[in-house]
Amino acid sequence: MPNIVVLVKQVPDTYSERKLAESDHTLDRDSADAVLDEINERAVEEALLLKEAQGGEVTVVSVGPDRATDAIRKALSMGADKAVHVSDEALRGSDVLQTAKVLAAAVGKVEGYDLVIAGNEASDGQAGAVPAILAELLGVPQLTHARKVELDGTTLKVERESEEGITRLEASLPAVVSVGEKINEPRYPSFKGIMAAKKKPVETLTVADLGIDAGEVGLGNAWTSVLEAAPKPPRTAGQRVTDEGDGGSKVAEYLVAQKLI
Amino acid sequence: MVFSESDERIALRSAVFELGRKYGHEYMRRQVRSGGKTNELWDEAGKLGYLGVNVPEEFGGGGGGIGDLAAVCEELSAAGCGLLLMVVSPAICSTIIARYGTGEQKRQWLPGFAQGTTRMAFGITEPDAGSNAHKITTTARRDGDGWLLSGRKVFISGVDEADAVMIVGRIRDEHSREGRLKPALFIVPTNAEGFTYQEIEMDIASPDKQFLLFLDDVSLPADALVGSEDAALLQLFAGLNPERIMAASFAIGTGRYALDKAVEYAKTRTVWKEPIGAHQGIAHPLADAKISLELAKVMTQKAAALYDAGDDMGAGEAANMAKYAAAEASIKAVDVAVQTHGGNGLASEYGLGSLIAASRISRIAPVSREMILNFVAQNSLGLPKSY
Repeated sequence: MPNIVVLVKQVPDTYSERKLAESDHTLDRDSADAVLDEINERAVEEALLLKEAQGGEVTVVSVGPDRATDAIRKALSMGADKAVHVSDEALRGSDVLQTAKVLAAAVGKVEGYDLVIAGNEASDGQAGAVPAILAELLGVPQLTHARKVELDGTTLKVERESEEGITRLEASLPAVVSVGEKINEPRYPSFKGIMAAKKKPVETLTVADLGIDAGEVGLGNAWTSVLEAAPKPPRTAGQRVTDEGDGGSKVAEYLVAQKLI
Repeated sequence: MVFSESDERIALRSAVFELGRKYGHEYMRRQVRSGGKTNELWDEAGKLGYLGVNVPEEFGGGGGGIGDLAAVCEELSAAGCGLLLMVVSPAICSTIIARYGTGEQKRQWLPGFAQGTTRMAFGITEPDAGSNAHKITTTARRDGDGWLLSGRKVFISGVDEADAVMIVGRIRDEHSREGRLKPALFIVPTNAEGFTYQEIEMDIASPDKQFLLFLDDVSLPADALVGSEDAALLQLFAGLNPERIMAASFAIGTGRYALDKAVEYAKTRTVWKEPIGAHQGIAHPLADAKISLELAKVMTQKAAALYDAGDDMGAGEAANMAKYAAAEASIKAVDVAVQTHGGNGLASEYGLGSLIAASRISRIAPVSREMILNFVAQNSLGLPKSY
């Protein structure tokens, strides 16, 4: 029965306008509704499918400010059993290396974990590096960009989808898997799941609790930081083709000019 | 006094809204055009327990209250795909059976309400009685152990989708020497012999249709009578307050949907230098609509909270006021949204034109604006009765 850890992140809702703070170019968390990242919902779903088939336990691990509790509750209401929430003002502005280090320490708090499931890339930062760095820090195999996950005893088989094609990966547990968009369709939390979530244990930890020095994390100590940011230029008006009997070929000409056909 | 909803209620709202967003107004439009129903959405919401949030846990429900059910109703509506039958099936019928049904009726019906697999319509309005419940003529006569029920009903929603209809009728009052009639509620299966229904063509784009019912000596077993013979008035009060709360929530959801559309349009549509939302002529009516919707919502939440706390009398006044306020706010929000869109407000692509008629329902049903004003005039203000 696998002991599964799922990494989840609270991100600004992709339906709302997302901004960086003007002062230090970190995420402006107040400008948009905060939600559990959709790719993490898929990660939770995959963990729950494994649990439903094979038993075991699902622990959610999240690094984020206090209000990330909402994202954690969502994962719990979907059916995860318990959670670890690392929340510390010192973490503000941390980069992927620092975040992965904190996550590795937090995953270490989950006794006897077999499998860590993460989304392949958060919809806000879009670095897509945390699962791989985490696997390195934990010293376990990384099976990233999975579109299919199979677990047979302690053998993990994954189909990785990339632009080059499909790669079939296999590793022994413990391991880190990151999942892509095609992995599954996440469930909606049921009303009973929502009601049960409140009673599930959430352990809240600071970086000190993880044995990490606050001086190692946060924007001031990050290896990378955003220097400049500008909003995307607005989309320009399209080109209108009036059909005077040659509409079809004009559209085709346009597509050829754009190298689309 | 607490003016924020519980974390669970907020989580429920966001889960339901997300489900609704998957279907959206486009789904409803498609269903209306193809003559389809809302089964996919209804079934999915049912499986997730959203339609049975208020059914007691011992029957497989969520163990929540009308406040939870109203939240579900509002969020689906706000996502553009409100389920009209939520106002009757889980809100009126399920509540009445849970509160006043016999043990056997609870065991028979509540598990289906909990999962959304059972749908029950509700028939009270009659062609010649209108809003006057005292003039209801649908009557049941004793027939051996059972009943023979006859009468007509009008504007009954979703009968073609329902397993049964809860019919408000009358029976002879055994305690009255003059042979007076007293109200009684019956559960009538839609396939019962002598029960027929006919669709009323409506100028409202909804997958859920309205029907005329004809009951012609429908033979019913003794246990078709809901609960005990003398409890019908209590049963009606138990069911009609949730109906008003749900109608209010449905209307508020519709208003939110229209307002969201309008705000989005006002932020992006640019004709001169600034988006049109920068002009006060556009912005102020939207802000005004927002205020009205919020006020109606607070009153609806109050009504639900009173009802769930067991204060039926207090809930009655609040539920009526909430329904009134929600209807007016919803109609205003739709109107403002259409105006904000200019010509696009009536273009099919924007999906607002059909809401003009749809939002107007809430001023008429389940109880008209005028009857609510009568209620408030008499009950809240103590003014003399005119009828």
